[in-house]
Amino acid sequence: MAETKVKLNHIGNTFAMKNQYLLDRAQGKNIAKHPYLQCLADFESKEKRFLTELKTPRATDPLEEYSQRLEAARKQVAFYEPYVELSYDAELAYKKARVEVEQVPAILETYRQIRQEIEQVRSERKALPPEADQQARALMATELKALEQDIETQKMRINELYKQKRISSKALQNNMVKFKRQIKIAKENAELAVPSKALELKEKNLLYRLKQDPKKMEAFIQAEKNDLQQNIPVEIAQGAPWKSFLSIPIPGLGQILNGQYIKGLLMMLLAFFNYIIAIPYALGYGNYQGKGIGGLVNLAVGGKRLDKSLFFMIEGVIAIFLLIIALFIFWISFKDAYKVEKDKILGKRPNSWKITSKMILEEGFPYTVTLPSAIMIIFIVLVPIMTSLLLSMAGQDPQNQSKFGWVGLENYLALIKGSGLAGALFWRILVWTLIWTLGATTLSILVGFFLAILLNNERVKLKPLFRTIYILPWAIPGFISILLFSIMFSPDSYLTNVLSAITGQTILVKDSTFWTRLILIIMKTWLGSSYIFLLSLGVLQSIPGDLYEAADIDGATSWQKLTKITLPLVLFQTAPLLVGQYTFNFNDFTAIFLFNGGGPFNTSLYGNLAGSSDILISYIFKLTMNNNYQSIGAAIAIIISFGLMAFAYIGFSRSKAFREIK
Amino acid sequence: MMETKKTKVKAEKIYLSDKPPLSTGGMVLLALSYGILIAWAVFILWPIIQMFLSAFNENQYQYLTSGVELKFGTKHFKHLFEETNYLIWIRNTLFISLSTVLLTLLFVSFTGYAYSRFRFKGKKMSLMGIMLVQTIPSFVGIAAYFAMHTIIQQFIPGFNKHMMLIMIYSAGGIAGNTFILKGYLDSIPTDLDDAAKIDGCSNMQTYRLIIMPIVKPMLAIIALWSFIGPFLDFLLPRVLLTRSEDLTVSAGLFTLINDLRTINQPAFAAGGLLIMVPIAALFIILQKQLVSGLASGAVKG
Repeated sequence: MAETKVKLNHIGNTFAMKNQYLLDRAQGKNIAKHPYLQCLADFESKEKRFLTELKTPRATDPLEEYSQRLEAARKQVAFYEPYVELSYDAELAYKKARVEVEQVPAILETYRQIRQEIEQVRSERKALPPEADQQARALMATELKALEQDIETQKMRINELYKQKRISSKALQNNMVKFKRQIKIAKENAELAVPSKALELKEKNLLYRLKQDPKKMEAFIQAEKNDLQQNIPVEIAQGAPWKSFLSIPIPGLGQILNGQYIKGLLMMLLAFFNYIIAIPYALGYGNYQGKGIGGLVNLAVGGKRLDKSLFFMIEGVIAIFLLIIALFIFWISFKDAYKVEKDKILGKRPNSWKITSKMILEEGFPYTVTLPSAIMIIFIVLVPIMTSLLLSMAGQDPQNQSKFGWVGLENYLALIKGSGLAGALFWRILVWTLIWTLGATTLSILVGFFLAILLNNERVKLKPLFRTIYILPWAIPGFISILLFSIMFSPDSYLTNVLSAITGQTILVKDSTFWTRLILIIMKTWLGSSYIFLLSLGVLQSIPGDLYEAADIDGATSWQKLTKITLPLVLFQTAPLLVGQYTFNFNDFTAIFLFNGGGPFNTSLYGNLAGSSDILISYIFKLTMNNNYQSIGAAIAIIISFGLMAFAYIGFSRSKAFREIK
Repeated sequence: MMETKKTKVKAEKIYLSDKPPLSTGGMVLLALSYGILIAWAVFILWPIIQMFLSAFNENQYQYLTSGVELKFGTKHFKHLFEETNYLIWIRNTLFISLSTVLLTLLFVSFTGYAYSRFRFKGKKMSLMGIMLVQTIPSFVGIAAYFAMHTIIQQFIPGFNKHMMLIMIYSAGGIAGNTFILKGYLDSIPTDLDDAAKIDGCSNMQTYRLIIMPIVKPMLAIIALWSFIGPFLDFLLPRVLLTRSEDLTVSAGLFTLINDLRTINQPAFAAGGLLIMVPIAALFIILQKQLVSGLASGAVKG
């Protein structure tokens, strides 16, 4: 860092240097025993003595404390005044003391005054004759009675008006409320007029002010001191920053060397987290079974008999996240200390803790309040996702349950090629999943929209009844209706018999691939159209009628009105939700699994791993929970996730709301 | 008065309406509309009515069969309360739901406020990040949840599977609900909080005194959705919970249909009815608010 002849403060104003030694050095003169340095050392030793002498036992009475403070401040002003031209440190101390000298008397005075008033009120309360209250009460009671009588007559008048039907029941009600309030207010006022009550309230008020008024004035003093701290530069002999680099091994050390002690100590707490939790865990200490990040290398393969690769994997992922957090702490601590140190060399005085804490509360607010959520998301949402990502590249299958190694992209290749027991089914199931998603969702949308248009016809009566019935499938918990259908399609149950009556032959829905799939799509339409109906009806009702009137005048047919006005408006407003319906159905585990457990089970086509109505998500469930093909399951889950993410990204990055975020 | 006039007019057979009189074709179309509307209503109501009837029909045994004469009684409810763990399931679900609501509100009210009212480094990035993470469904982690629970239990004794479920539900809801709340808060001008700031309120005070009362309606909707979530979810309890007395209501009712030892379909109908009625009533009463909450989150992003 090049040495300069001026110093900057936080606002960017330049100041002449007071330190003659540094000034000479900057000008290229090198004087071995600079007289200025001796003056400074002299000042510093005197200051040290002065400050130890200044220390007095803390007063217990606030009044005494304020006068002590004032006294100390006066002494400081007197002590620092001759040195103001010597150094900026002395100037700061001098000016801070001056602020105290100017402002503390006002606090002292306020405090004393309020206290006096309290004493006065208390003595007044004591001197109050006991009959004064009663007299006041009696007086008030007669006044209250008069008021009540007055209101009573008004009430009668209003009632009379109501009986003659000259005012509405609402007006009657409002008037009654008004009367009640009048009496209440009068009663409260009467209570205040009682001398003892009034004095009691006054005392309470004064006691509150005794606490709050000095606080407010203190805040002013603090604000002025903060200004001084940021306005008066600092001079140090240091040329290039080095202290902040100590924050890299020990967060907080650089801050302490910069003179920011409390901030430094707090940073050190974070250092504790780094050195006691994060780094040891990453190295494998304190793990449940795993070996930290190192455990990810060969995942317990060749390890102890009871070691499980899955644990090694999860703990490895946790260790990685902990390490990332630790590195982040190191980085933040260094960056902060480095900035402060560099500024200090330029002349900007480091902030006091009072300023720093205020900044943390103001500017750091969004970070502090979102921190718990971030931690939750990292450890409860991201860790399982990362584990699945890693698992999809490992070989957990029925033969290698507790110990398995890395296999790279083999699982994905098996899925793409359709090879292996589990991979062979992938494409077949994917095709049905797509048919199911497109069929069930599109049908739901069509039916729901169609019903909404039918019901929006102004000539149709009993709208609320139809509306309530139509939203029932949406309102009833999905798993109940699905299980209900499942039961009703068992042999000899309701819907099986209905179906037989219609087709004229006994059909066992759950034993036939075709019928199971067909009924699933119909059932999903039963369930899903309800929500679409609700959405579209809301949009339809909000379309202004003049659009249609204008169309009528222009001679549009009903079909044209539907396709040119209604459809575009409804689609435009519900599009994101409709897309959501497709992704929801793609992943609708409940419908598939609860209706027929993914069956019927056609072993010649599907083997033992899936049934013919299984969709990808229920296939993942079976692979993971029942058949021990966790890795293949994870690979499918990851493929689905990337698909969904791409889908969401396109829709999301185009949304207006997101582009507006600055 | 208006009505008497109308009837009079009707009596004189004069057509009085804003709408043009219906042509024959229109009549047919209207009749057709009514036909379709009524048919669909029957289609929706029929299974639900059958469920009601079988829950109260004492002539139904273990498996529901059609064509059984109705003998009204509460046998199946008795079976549900005395022979199964129904009440325990309800209690478990309530515990999980309420805790999820509390945690979600705690997290989301802060994050929504921060993302709506503050500018800070990394805002856009993190918003995009959580949005993408949020699109990954929770089933992706099913292979890890069980093992994760074992690991957490090692460090926090007493951390049971219900707590794991609560964590998964509330952490999973943070992203989406933050968006909903942010969208809602964005639509409210900042004048009120600016005024509070000028009057000397700190961020925390502004949050407590100004923001909280404003977002209460939206928080109520978020609370409602998070409350209902555990009642409706079937996958995660199925993955994590094994013992009958740990189950939530959805996984528990499934055992009344699926598990050969405990199968009793009319009891399922009875148990389903008991939770269906309050939830359906809630949805019907609050339909507008529930849909608007979803819509505002989706449209405003």
